[in-house]
Amino acid sequence: MAITLDKASSGAADLTSVGRSIPRVEARAKVTGKAEYVHNLRLPGMLYGKIFRSTVAHARLLGVDVSAAQDMPGVFAVYTGLDMLQLIPEPYYGPAFHDQPILALEKVHYVGEPVALVLAADPHVADAAAQLIVADYDELPAVFDEVEAMTSKAVVHEVLKPAGTFPDLKHLKDKRDTNIALDFHLRRGDTEQAFAEADHVFEHTFHTQQVLHLPLEPFVTVVDPTPNQLVIHTASQSPSFVRIEIARLLGWPENKVRVKVPYLGGGFGAKLYIKLEALTAAAALIAGRPVKIALTMEEQFYTLTKHATTLRIKSGVTKDGRITARECEVWWNGGAYADIGPRITQKSGFTAPGPYDIDHVSIDSYSLYTNLPPAGALRGFGIPQLVWAYESHTDMIAKELNIDPLAIRQINILQEGRPQATGTVMRDAGIAPVLERLAERMNWEKPYDKGSGTIRRGRGIAIGFKASISPTTSMAIVNISADGSCIVYCSTVDMGQGSDTAMAQFAAEALGIPVELVKVVHPDTDVTPYDMATLGSRSTYHMGHAVKNAAEDARDKLLALAAEVGLSAETTPIPDIFRKKYGMQAGNIVGTGSFIPPYTPPQPGTGLTTDATPFWMIGATGAEVEVDTETGEFKVTRLVNLVDVGRPVNPAIVETQISGATMMQLGFTLFERMDFDAGQVTNASLADYKIPGIRDVPPVMENEAVDMVQKTGPFGAKGVGESGTFGVSPAIASAIDDAVGVRLMSLPLTAEAVYRGLRAQAGKPLQD
Amino acid sequence: MIPFELAEPRTLKAALKLLDADDPSVRVFGGGTALMLMMKAGVFQPTRLVSLRGVEARYAKIKKVKDGSLHIGALTTLSAMGRAAAVKTVAPVIIDTLRTLSNVRVRNVATLGGHLAHADPHMDLPPVLIALDAQVVTAAAAGSRTLAVADLLTGYYETALARNELISEIIVPPQQGRRSAYIKLTTRTADDWPTLGVAVSLTMDGQTVEDARIVVSAATEKPVRLQTAEAALRGEIITDAVLARVGEAAAAEAELVGDARGTAAYKRELLRVYAGRAVRKALAT
Repeated sequence: MAITLDKASSGAADLTSVGRSIPRVEARAKVTGKAEYVHNLRLPGMLYGKIFRSTVAHARLLGVDVSAAQDMPGVFAVYTGLDMLQLIPEPYYGPAFHDQPILALEKVHYVGEPVALVLAADPHVADAAAQLIVADYDELPAVFDEVEAMTSKAVVHEVLKPAGTFPDLKHLKDKRDTNIALDFHLRRGDTEQAFAEADHVFEHTFHTQQVLHLPLEPFVTVVDPTPNQLVIHTASQSPSFVRIEIARLLGWPENKVRVKVPYLGGGFGAKLYIKLEALTAAAALIAGRPVKIALTMEEQFYTLTKHATTLRIKSGVTKDGRITARECEVWWNGGAYADIGPRITQKSGFTAPGPYDIDHVSIDSYSLYTNLPPAGALRGFGIPQLVWAYESHTDMIAKELNIDPLAIRQINILQEGRPQATGTVMRDAGIAPVLERLAERMNWEKPYDKGSGTIRRGRGIAIGFKASISPTTSMAIVNISADGSCIVYCSTVDMGQGSDTAMAQFAAEALGIPVELVKVVHPDTDVTPYDMATLGSRSTYHMGHAVKNAAEDARDKLLALAAEVGLSAETTPIPDIFRKKYGMQAGNIVGTGSFIPPYTPPQPGTGLTTDATPFWMIGATGAEVEVDTETGEFKVTRLVNLVDVGRPVNPAIVETQISGATMMQLGFTLFERMDFDAGQVTNASLADYKIPGIRDVPPVMENEAVDMVQKTGPFGAKGVGESGTFGVSPAIASAIDDAVGVRLMSLPLTAEAVYRGLRAQAGKPLQD
Repeated sequence: MIPFELAEPRTLKAALKLLDADDPSVRVFGGGTALMLMMKAGVFQPTRLVSLRGVEARYAKIKKVKDGSLHIGALTTLSAMGRAAAVKTVAPVIIDTLRTLSNVRVRNVATLGGHLAHADPHMDLPPVLIALDAQVVTAAAAGSRTLAVADLLTGYYETALARNELISEIIVPPQQGRRSAYIKLTTRTADDWPTLGVAVSLTMDGQTVEDARIVVSAATEKPVRLQTAEAALRGEIITDAVLARVGEAAAAEAELVGDARGTAAYKRELLRVYAGRAVRKALAT
């Protein structure tokens, strides 16, 4: 095959790889069971670790008796926090705060916190031995509710320890006796005066429940303490962070820690930063043997969750429905360790007023410690909680003022070129186009059959938006071999979202070669360069730019090489250029690329900035429901999901990302809730905590990316993975209200809650 | 997992010998779908498991006998039942129930005997079999006995079986024109355990209900017939008013348990509505 460099593409009409529904590069390996996962990895001499966890929510840890476990035949060793201290003098980690010990020291902060680790060659022996460990606790008062945590006497961490990575956390250093891990404030205009002048003022409080990611591949890490370096095989979304953080903990140079990540069976924000890596690494170093820790499905309930929230929102509105002022207070239940919660509090917090053009805005967003399992990022980075509140609130205002739900949104929508709450001007944000297209697909202007008798129908719409977490860095290397084939080295993790395929498309497009000639290497920090992490729908944009830049660099170098040997690169097959230079099939051309977007940090105090984000993600959902008025049961009969993802890199994968995000949020909307008793999760299994299955997919589900281009994006593209989650919950709640006049203000939306609402409406509340 | 003995006897008689009347850590299994979950969760640690998968093939056969009754071997998988023409002829309600019973992976290995002996009140077939007035035949060293499914299930995960006694066969009597239906109600995902199960079986004399059996499950400690609700239906022509009375009677009579799927108060309201709906569904068959 003669491969030449095609002319570099300059516009949409020229695109040959981007914009095509190329089959996923890993599809065959996955369906034939040949794809590589950490769960399948076994090393010679490997020990299995089983974790002994706290059974109390908050206590001083007086001692841990491991003698019976140690004496069990087949047990290699049992380690506690004291053993970690021997190896690592400051054994605390975390992306925002160094608050999480590798194993509990002095205190336990939630039920399920790791207290000790048993190592054995047989995982069943390790499991049985872990059950023989006894911890001695002096119990302390605990706090579980995020609003109570603001003023509670129970303090989860006596002293706050910001990691030093984020400037807006510096003022919290050494702060004592508070559960507030970040308070973010934004002030624009004068809300007080605007409320006083408004025709109407509405105020509502909403709640969301604690849920979790539940990737079908639970957390797993294998660490091999080789003589020259520590090799960490881990199911992680952030290999570069793992390398830097483990090196920091050990006081080693980065290059003594090697992190390798194969495919992931889902991540959704759970497998970020340090999860099992520090514990497994420390155990392997102390034991001098490879160690594997693989959690069970049930243990995932004690790792990372999605913030439960309380959201108070207040609006001043003119009589014709124009919103003049909005005040938002958001309390994020962060659980026992901050993880990335403080970033959610700020980076998502500043969108709390919604995609509306409001002159006077005030936001107070609080990240709270409580004695529950830690909360972090989960597909949407806090946005679905915020959209739930502001879109429900919008519809409640519309109903009170007798304005159509679409009309009130059209009146207030944040148009292109107008400033958002932070003052950042909206660019390439398809809020209005997404809303218009949604209305079209829902036939919103047409009369709607609301049903009769005991079956009533209703419909609802909701729209949300999200900023990309900024500023973050991606690096990539593109290597052209002497036969014209190409390898992309990048640390983006393909966890099911199709990034390998997208990166291959970007490289092929920039080089002007067929996508089949591009291979993408999986993250290996000895080989692939730095990437902040695979999170927040950032890879398409950030790594897309880095790969494009690297490919263009390689292309330039190839053109230069062709010129050097007196050939035209655009007509000569690539192998001939190499052959002419090196006399045989030999050599490489290596292009490098990096990307960090421009960014202006928010001003302290006001939270205002002219450049909050490199791009905006937009997602909207229309829902139709049927409610059984005799029982409160309801069916979602139709879901229409509209997103602005810029130019879809791979339309088929984009559609599955929209539908997947929507179904995940449908679970959080209708079914999922972690139940607690004194901080103990009482439904920690897939038998008791129900996630949606194929029979829960609505009979009609339509997914569409509107025709948009992100002009600053690589080939016009931007992030995709989360936008489908934004509008689901409020659209369904509004559809229920439209059908039967019952407004639910807490998630999940259950048949029983609807039934109780119907009974209350009839003046006959259901007695327990 | 602590090591245990796995026995795979070739005959039912040999299997019985391996059981122990006094030792709860010796357990028998058919498909093992429920037992494996209990073992993984650490709530059951066996010393010996006795697999019935290798015993005589006749215990996995389904046949319709001369008197019109259906004899189902206890080791018949739920999938095999769902495909059997004889089941469809005698009791199509069983086929209908199996469609949404757990999932195909479970149905392919779970056996009818295990489904009954596990005595989880959320199971779908027990209320149906009670409504059909089915019986089980048991085997033990001491001999065989026959008892009604209603008498087999004595409580929450409790049966009338001795530890060294096995179900060998299930007999569904001839239905002679009875009309039967089951409604399974889930309030969370479609594949969740039911919040409420209602099974109904009717004999009609023209428009009039001659006899009615109404069984509630899932929301109760064990599947139970609702006598006053049945009485409210007997001798009546079915109207909305009659069904409202049936619902009232059912709601008043049943002892309901609240859980994560719904409070007891809500389940009572569901039963009030679904008792009548199940009667309507039976009538429509």
